[in-house]
Amino acid sequence: MGTKLVFSNVSAGYGRIQILSDLSFEVQEGEVFGVIGPNGCGKTTMFNALIGLIIPSKGEIIFDGHNITKMAANARCRLGIGRTYQVPRPFEGMSVFENVLVAAVHGAGHSEKEGRRVALDALKLTGLYDKREVRAGELTLLDRKRLEIARALGTEPKLLLLDEVAAGLTEAEVKDVMKMVADLKAAGYTIIWIEHVIETMVNSTDTLMCMAEGRNLLVGKPLDVMNSKLVEEVYLGVPEDE
Amino acid sequence: MKIPVLLDRKKTKAASSGGQVRVLDGVPMLAACVAIAAALYIFGLTGVLSSNIQRYLLKIFLYCTLSSMWNLMSGYTGMTSLGQQTYIGLAGYSLTVMTATYAMSYWVGFLVGAVISTIVSLILAIILFRMRGMYFAVATWVVAEALRTFFTSWKFVKKGAGMTVAARPYPSTSTIYIIALTLCIIALAVVYFLLKSRVGLGLTAMRDDPDAASSVGVDIFKSKLLVYVVSAIFTALAGGIFYLNKGSIYPAGGFGISWTVSMVFIVIIGGIGTMGGPVLGSILYVIFEEQLAKLPGGWTNIVLGLIAILVILFLPDGILGTLQKKLRFEILSQKRFSGE
Repeated sequence: MGTKLVFSNVSAGYGRIQILSDLSFEVQEGEVFGVIGPNGCGKTTMFNALIGLIIPSKGEIIFDGHNITKMAANARCRLGIGRTYQVPRPFEGMSVFENVLVAAVHGAGHSEKEGRRVALDALKLTGLYDKREVRAGELTLLDRKRLEIARALGTEPKLLLLDEVAAGLTEAEVKDVMKMVADLKAAGYTIIWIEHVIETMVNSTDTLMCMAEGRNLLVGKPLDVMNSKLVEEVYLGVPEDE
Repeated sequence: MKIPVLLDRKKTKAASSGGQVRVLDGVPMLAACVAIAAALYIFGLTGVLSSNIQRYLLKIFLYCTLSSMWNLMSGYTGMTSLGQQTYIGLAGYSLTVMTATYAMSYWVGFLVGAVISTIVSLILAIILFRMRGMYFAVATWVVAEALRTFFTSWKFVKKGAGMTVAARPYPSTSTIYIIALTLCIIALAVVYFLLKSRVGLGLTAMRDDPDAASSVGVDIFKSKLLVYVVSAIFTALAGGIFYLNKGSIYPAGGFGISWTVSMVFIVIIGGIGTMGGPVLGSILYVIFEEQLAKLPGGWTNIVLGLIAILVILFLPDGILGTLQKKLRFEILSQKRFSGE
């Protein structure tokens, strides 16, 4: 077990609007690292900086000992960073199996024959195996979210980024997602998980970070973070007379 | 149709909840394709066919090449071009200029047409690939229109009056028939093997969502470039052969939007995103065109338009596309099955 990912003093944004300011945190290998914070605090921007959609103006991102701060997105994919989209974006005209096969062939660089095995493994892990020949466009929301994860797994990531995979799901479906994340953790993946559903963050993560205004407000054991006064203030605001 | 006979022999690929799709490929399909191709060659070489029939067939071969390439771009890759006539015009003029102005063989004309189209498509790709969807479609059309206007006022190619192909000796209809048939077979094979390749797997993903495709590692620019340039080359070759058969070219014809209208019509009625759609569509299109030519001017397009509307309304996946869906089979499918 070692340090998988380091953000040190990263500042980034879109054009002149700065979203992340001096963001620093570390993710350990094999852990589920939860990220919470009010809307607009920069959670998804952090993912975008991490996969290379935006380049930080300051600071460094170290992944597995490589400085990836300015690396191109497809090169990071090959180094082993896989992401899911907050709003699922399946290849609707293709079967579930083909969706994941594309990732295994193009993302992980397998031949189609090897990719087939990788894709089927990813489908088993995400509970989509029985629906493998269904057209992706016909899937329910839960299954689309599963497919997002399966497709990210198809690229054989070492670090998996989950962006609100439980949002919009029923309580029973959220339980399914939590079980899936537990399975992924058991399979050895390091995971960063952004979520607003508090239940998932308290129960499924090893470490929890609360972000506010582009910074790391607090990081620690999930329950400690949830019960902290600082976090409460960020979400509920500070009474004016204090 | 030979389909029902072939169905019995086909392997069945089970799909757990999507039902069963019979894929017509492998040895029986290859045998069927080789048999049809061989028959068409033998008919052409032995002179069994009247030159009228040969002319119909060679038109089918050329439209089949053009529309298969358009289908590859629009139906499989998501690049809907309205400007493939750019390459038909360039190839037609390459042929006439090489044969008439420089007194060279028509083979040189084809070669020059293909080379110019390759270069032009590479340059245009840089500009056009910045656009997607409707913007890409309109931009391709604008390029073709600009070329039409340019050729209309270019003295070297005799402006709007057009030019005549002057191949010496002028090839017979059966020679052109054989050339067109060969091109058509190569074009279909190229489309099939491209779709079956690693690149082909990424193309369909790209058609459905280019951003998501690139985030799972698909190289969007390279894939698009490959498809666009391959389409340009085959479109140019088909255009060259078409004008060798026709004998003359003028700017409004060579760079006319009616080329695209034909390709779209063929692919829509045959079945977009299917291998066999453009083949079936081309046969029907040439039959319609020949039959409707007897009608007074203007009526041809009205009737073709009506046919297209009816097909879109009642068979939205095209004739072959709808048949494939209803009867659950696919001819030479590019689909990948898990095999479990």
